[in-house]
Parts: sequence; structure tokens; C-alpha cells
Amino acid sequence: MSNAGGPGSAGSAGAGASPPTGIVGVNQPLPSAETCSKDLNVERTPLRRLTRTEYTNSVRDLLNVNVTATADLPADEVTNGFDNNAAVLTVSSLHAEKYVLVSEALAKLAVQNLSALTAGCDTVAKGEDACALAFAKSFGRRAFRRPTTAEDERQLLAAYAAGRSGGSYAEGIEVMLRAALQSPNFLYRLELTPATDATAKRVPLSQFELASRLSYLIWGSGPDDALLDSAARGELASKEQVAAKARALLATPKARSAIGSFFEQWTSTRRLAITTKSSSLFPGFSNDLRDAMAKELPAFVSDVLWNGDGRLSTLLTAPIAFVSGPLAQIYGVKATPSSDGTPVKVALPANQQRAGLLTQAGVMSVQGHPDQTSPVLRGKFVRAMLLCQPPPPPPADVDISLPSVDEGATARLRFAAHESAGASCAGCHKLMDPIGLAFEHYDAIGQYREQDNGQALDVSGEILGAPDAGLTGAFNGPAELAAKLANSSQVRACVATQWFRFASGRTEGSEDACSLASMQQAFTTANGDIIDLIVATTQTDAFWYRPQVAP
Amino acid sequence: MNPLRFTRRNLLRGGLAATAAIPLLNARRAIGDAAAPKRFVVIHTPNGTRNALFWPTGSEKSFTLNQITTPLEPYKSKLTFLKGIKLNDSLQNGALGGTLGSEHARGTGGMLTARPLNAGKDFVSFGNTTSGWGSGQSLDQYLASKLAPPTKFKSLQLGVHVRDTEVRARISYTGSNQPVPPREDPKDVFTTLFGGAPSTPGGMTDPAVARLWAQRKSVFDLMGGETQRLMGLVGAEDRIKLDAHLTAMRDVEQRLVGTPGTGNGTGTGTGVMCSPPTLAAADLAVDDQYLQAGRAQMDLAAAALACDQTRILTFQWSYSESEHLFQFLKVNNAAISGNHHAISHDFASSGSNYLAYNAIQTWYAEQVAYFLGKLDSYREGDRTLLDNTVVLWATEIGESTQHDLTLMPYVLAGSAGGAFSTGRYLDFSGARKDNNQLLVSIARAVGATELNSFGDASGATGPLSVLT
Repeated sequence: MSNAGGPGSAGSAGAGASPPTGIVGVNQPLPSAETCSKDLNVERTPLRRLTRTEYTNSVRDLLNVNVTATADLPADEVTNGFDNNAAVLTVSSLHAEKYVLVSEALAKLAVQNLSALTAGCDTVAKGEDACALAFAKSFGRRAFRRPTTAEDERQLLAAYAAGRSGGSYAEGIEVMLRAALQSPNFLYRLELTPATDATAKRVPLSQFELASRLSYLIWGSGPDDALLDSAARGELASKEQVAAKARALLATPKARSAIGSFFEQWTSTRRLAITTKSSSLFPGFSNDLRDAMAKELPAFVSDVLWNGDGRLSTLLTAPIAFVSGPLAQIYGVKATPSSDGTPVKVALPANQQRAGLLTQAGVMSVQGHPDQTSPVLRGKFVRAMLLCQPPPPPPADVDISLPSVDEGATARLRFAAHESAGASCAGCHKLMDPIGLAFEHYDAIGQYREQDNGQALDVSGEILGAPDAGLTGAFNGPAELAAKLANSSQVRACVATQWFRFASGRTEGSEDACSLASMQQAFTTANGDIIDLIVATTQTDAFWYRPQVAP
Repeated sequence: MNPLRFTRRNLLRGGLAATAAIPLLNARRAIGDAAAPKRFVVIHTPNGTRNALFWPTGSEKSFTLNQITTPLEPYKSKLTFLKGIKLNDSLQNGALGGTLGSEHARGTGGMLTARPLNAGKDFVSFGNTTSGWGSGQSLDQYLASKLAPPTKFKSLQLGVHVRDTEVRARISYTGSNQPVPPREDPKDVFTTLFGGAPSTPGGMTDPAVARLWAQRKSVFDLMGGETQRLMGLVGAEDRIKLDAHLTAMRDVEQRLVGTPGTGNGTGTGTGVMCSPPTLAAADLAVDDQYLQAGRAQMDLAAAALACDQTRILTFQWSYSESEHLFQFLKVNNAAISGNHHAISHDFASSGSNYLAYNAIQTWYAEQVAYFLGKLDSYREGDRTLLDNTVVLWATEIGESTQHDLTLMPYVLAGSAGGAFSTGRYLDFSGARKDNNQLLVSIARAVGATELNSFGDASGATGPLSVLT
């Protein structure tokens, strides 16, 4: 049988295709201003299915009900660290089943407050049919993120009729809701506005489509009525208008969890939910502790972005923690718990050499093993996610032995085996281990320790093989490492690239070079201000256009 | 949003009590029916093996099980050890894609697809690439589509503590970049399999249920039509994605939209062979309850097969490269403290990790034996359900310390109703065969009789003739 093909295997991403040679701004030069002044092609983003997070946020905003039912949806597949890579966001039978059942659970809850849901449409005064049509238009517009078409309304009213016939008005609305939430117009972020110029390589998005990109970028949810109204009034016509709208959305509370979600995935702390630790070695790693760790990163990011200077360098260096529950104990600090359980900001003792999110207990926990620390994983995290130089997998045909915890040996001694194993191991491990070993003061759940196996720790290290010359060289301890990273142009370029991947739901391609370059430059000009980076995303060709694709 | 918390302790007991009264399900066959269906089951356990303690000793027909597989002794006459399967060149050879992804990832995505992983597109630093997702359909999904069995589930994917959602955690694919996630929560599985609306005495459907079914049908029709309409508006690649969605909708429609007059839309309910299992509670967040969670899922899997709810089933234990903990096992009177993957790379030939790895591998063999025993307990004429099944027990790599992909520790159980000659230890490691050929043989044995090649073109074609 032959079934090559399928989304993703086609085109340049196919197995065996010659891969690109680097990352713009990291180990590839930026394109010239002249190159970027032309009308360029744009890369294709595969059709984006809502992630479970986006689905959850969207129904929360649409229905204003308890949305815990969405936890029944399958977890999204993670590609290169992010759960929103459109290439693999497909609908399996399991998804299809849960879309039905979850929509039924949500619709049932929503119609319990029918008057609020339908904006008080008076079925006696106006008639049920008129109210149902009005609801199809208003709800359909928000659910599909554009004005409804006659065909949309026909479908929604047909679903309504399946509930109303032999039932009640409320049941009709309930079935209409189920249909809307099972509609591909809701489940996918469709961008189908036809091209006005059939010969152009790229197609500008409609303002409704821009509104949708903006809201999922910044809120992780669909646009609200106000944003849709802006699109309808033509207020998203210029880049200045879109930048201003982006800043307005970023100022609302909804932005915080959505932007936090990027950082959770970038650092892998999202994996706390599936992280286990040895109960005999780390009896303190309780569900409460895991929850407290999971809450820390978004609280910290929120504080820096919205109460602080907003800079990447602060995220990478500030010796502060946000503690709740048993987390204060992990850091060895005292904090008066807040009344509502939100994490409390505390300064960390200088001797711990804590450095922003890099040394957070949650980050140290996920970049590790259930039973021991992992200098390799910690070093790999810095290499892959901060330097954009992910090491390859171990070579074939070598004995691959992970050092076991022997009495009396520090990790540094145990990992010297990578060096002595010869070039096949040492070549890559020297890029990771000397970085990862800097974090050895933090055990597998992020607690500070002076010793490992009874021996004093040596946390000196070295960054090798980084294109940024300022990054290369020796350092001593996590704080010095963090300072190097915080001042690096490569790290800034890399973080902008990681954000681009998250923002666009795909890996960058060669046609993205100018968009990426403009984001990196804006990020640098703004001294690493994250909010400015996010706004810069909305100014790129990659954000404003889609490629012309023949149906 | 915390996948470990979906099932809480004790939820199972309470949840199941409410459905205990449902009637026996739809065994379409009476006992003694010689035309029992043939089934295909894959069991994946992670982190390879240790060859020296895995392969039997002796000759093809007269062999002794080795330490790790000792628990399979009761079913020895129904086993086929396949010493000599290698993953095909596209998964080995860099020029053909064989450097895409770690061996753990390749051995996972290539196991049932016999294809290389897709490229990860970026990540070329230091002259290498990491991987994207599987590049084609897996055998289970091919068979589900090709054979289209008249069962409630064309195929079923179950997992125990899989948790991970990366490439290394998916063995089943409907197509390139289309992984099929497993169901991990026994409560969810139970409800899905056996929680259908009960029929009222006399075979009538509860009117409220019939009404829900009719409404679901309306919504399926409307949104299926809309999906088809959109397929005409998008580009070719997105059309594949919408087509997969439409296929998935049609697959679930036939079980979510029942037929009035029947119990749960799955048949006439006259069978006596099968009944829903009684499940013990298991906290999915706790590694120490691996056995309990695994037992629940295995009981459900066996019942799903016995009740003819599905004939194609994949069953994953944890994920490839698993760091699962086994503190509930002891070696030298001490609980195993290390994680499975770390232990699997300790290549010393003695010492606590050597013993720990052997103990973990043997524990997995015990679980396989438990499941085989379940299947073997169902009589189907002069055979058992196990006889009418072909079970492939596989892991993603061979010798664990080597990340080897050239000698896969694959074992078959059952004969697919006599299609395979069993009770054999086949050692063709001197002239190894591609996994493509094994997949072709399995497909033919369970009914895709005309299949001659499967997976990447670099693999050998035709069946593995030694099996029959």
C-alpha cells in the first residue's frame, strides 16, 4: 500500500527533504532591508484547530458557565515544546466523540440561564422564531468570529428545530449551541476571505480574521463583541490601529493567562501536570506543591510584564519567588499566605543564587528525572529554548548509560563519563553538561542544597559553541550564567523566535525571515520588553497575510 | 486542565455503581460459533529489552523461556518469538530519513507504520535534526479502515499512565501527522464501552434517549455537510485535515446515534459471553498504582474484545523512553528507586540496577501474561479468544543500552484463528527481516489477504513466510 502524503509530509517539511540551515538572528544573518522592502511570499500556516486551552477559553467567554467539562478533551500533542503546532492538530475519533459530549454538557449548563444567554429576548413579544434567529446571528458571530452567513443561520436554525420540535424553546437553543460548538467554523480558525487579486502570491487577511488572530494571540480566546465591532467598523485597517488594539487587549486581565501559557510551554512547566517524583526520595512533592509550582511561573511573568519593567533580562535574573502553599518551604522562606491562595511575592536569600524563572522550583522539577537531577536536561533546556541550538539525539551505536546515583559522587564526577566516552558523546554533551551543572545547587524538586552526596558542589561552567561571542566563555554559578544569558543578543533573538513559533502555531520557514527579523529588531530596540515583542508580532507580514492557495 | 487529576481515587467505584445494572452486551455470536472474528492487538511496553535474558534457549519447537519472559510459560504453546525483525532502512539509514528523531521516537512512530518520522523542519544545529510526527498510517488504522469491522469501535486505543503527548507517546496514526491518542482513564473507557443507554424491558429505548440520538443525528448531518462544504474552499493540505475530521465524525456517529429498539446501538444483546468488568479504584497520578490502573484497562480491553465492541486494539504502557517509577517492586529487599529509562541504560552486568531492570521487564511480562490469560479464558468454539487473535507484544528499541533498532524483541501470541503456527521460537537473526513484512503477515492473517506491502518503500515486501 502506498499512503505517503497527509498534511505535513507534503511540501518542504517532508521526510528526507533538505532541511534549512539555521535560524535567522541566531546562526543565520538577518535579511537585508532591501530584501524586506519587497512584497514577499508568506509561509502557509496549516489550518489551526483550537487547542484544548483555546477551546476552553473560547467557551468560557462565549457561555459564561463552568467549563470544567472541557478537561475531557484529549490533551494536545506537543511539538518542539508547544502544544499548538497546527500541523499535528487534527481531529481523531476520540476528539470527535468528545466534541459531541463536551458540547452537550456545556449547552446544558448554558441554557439554565436562558435569559442571560439570549440577551433577554422576549419570546412572547417577539416570537420564538425571531428570538432564535437573533440568537443564531449574535451567538454565531461570536462563535465563528465573523458575521454569520445565510447558510450559517440555516444550519443553526435547523439544529434549533431539532430541539424545539417536540420539545421547548430552551431545548431548541440547547441543540443550536451544540451545533455551533461542533461546527468546523468554531473548531478551526478558518481564514477563507477570498483574494481580491487572484494573481497575488499573498492574500491580506480580512479585519475579522485579524481580530481573531489578535484575540487568540493575546487572549488565547476568540474575539469579544467589542473587538468584532471594531473589525466591522474598519478599525483594524492599519498597522498602527492593530498595534493600538494589541496594546489594549494586553492591558486586560485575560491577557495574563494566555501570555503566561507561552512561558509555561517555553519552560515546560506545563509538564508539571504530568510530572511525578519518587515518593521515597521526595516525599514533599505533593499535589499541593505541584500546584503551587505551576502557579508560580505565570504569577512571576505577570508581575514582571504588568507591574515591572517587562524585560526578558528581569525574567532571567530577578532573585524573587511567588509562593503559595508548601512552596515557601521549598525555597526556605517565610511568607504570609494570601487569603485567596494567590502566590505571594518574596525575595530569595542571596546565597541561593536564584535567577528568575531559570531557577524556579517548577522549572528545576520538570527539567529533571523522577529520582534525580538532570544536568543534561537542564543544559538542553538552555541550549534548545534560550539559545535555539538544540543538540541532536545521542548517536546510534554507542553504549548510552545514564549515570546512576552512587554514594559519594557528585553529578559532575558522574557526568565526566560523557567526556571520557570519547568524541561521539563528548561532542554534544560539552554543549549541555557544563551549562546544566551550574544548576546543581537545586535538587530534583528545586530545593537549594549546599552538597550533593555529601560533597561540596562545583557549579562553575562554560558556554561553548554559541554564535554570540559575548555568550561564550566561563562563568561560576547560576547567577553568573543568568547574567550572561540576560545580556545576550542570541538569547533575545531566540526568545523572539520561540514566541514566533507559539504565536503562529508552526515552525518558522524561509519566507518568515523578514517577519522574524523585524520582531527581533523591535525586541532589541525595546531592551527586551516582552510586551513590545508581542506587539511587534502584529506588525509583520506573517501576521497580516496568508499565501494564495488554490482550493 | 490537569491530566493527572481527571480520575480521582474512589471515583471509579462510585461511578460504576450507577451502571451496574446494564444488560449483557452484544455478543453477536453464540458460544460455539466457529466463525468467530479475528482480532489484532498491540501491546507496547517501553524501554527495549536485555537480549541475554529475553530470548528463549533451545530450538524452534523445543525451547525454554528465559528469565524476563518466564511469566508467559502458561501460554507458551500459543507464542511465537520472532528473533530477527529489524526496523526497515528508512528508520535506520540517515539518507532515507533514519536520523529523524531519537531511536526511542523512531521505534515508536515506526513500529506500526514502518515509515520514518517526518522531519521536524527546523532543529538542524550541529548537523542533525529532531523529528516531527509519524509519516503515514499505522497498521491498526489501516486494518480498521480496510476491514471496517461491524463493531462499535473500528479500533480502540488504550493506555496506562501514558501522560506524555509527544512523538514518543503515539504508536497509532490515521495518516501522516495524524496521531491517535490513547484513552487513559478507566472510568472514561468504561463509560464509553458500557455506559450506553440501557434498554428498557421489552427492548424499547428510553424516549429521552431516542430523542437525544435524533438530535445528535441532526447535528452530525448539518456539521458533516458543513465540513464537506469547507473542504471545497481550502487548499489540498487542509482538505486532508478536514477529511480526517469528517471520517472521525462518521466513525463516532454510528455509536453515538443509536438505533431505536436496541440497547446502546451496538446490537441485539443476546450474547452470554461477555459482561462489563468490575473495576478497582486507581489514582492515575500515582506511579505506585500502575498495576491497579493497568489491571483496570486490561480488564476493559479484554471485555471490549469479548463483547465484540472492537476487533482492533492498541494498548500502551507508559510512553517510550519512560521514566516511570517502580517503587512497588523490590530487589534485594529494597524498593527500586531509580526510574525505568535511567535503569535501562545501566549496562553493568550485575548490581542493583541490573537486577532492577530485569525485575521491571519481568513485571511487564507478567502484565502481558495476565492479559493473554484474560483473552484465553473466553471460549469460542474449540478455540479461545486468544487463539482467534494475533497479539503483537512490542517495544520501541531492542537492546536497551544500545538503542538498537536491528533486533526488535517482538513476540506474537495467538494464531488469528489458526493462520499462524505457534509455540515456536524463530531465530532468523542471521538473515533479518524488515518489520514491514511482519505487518503484512499480520494484516493477511486477520483478513486483509491481498496486502503485499506496507509502509516505506525501502522495506521488504511480501509476508513473513516463516510464520505460517
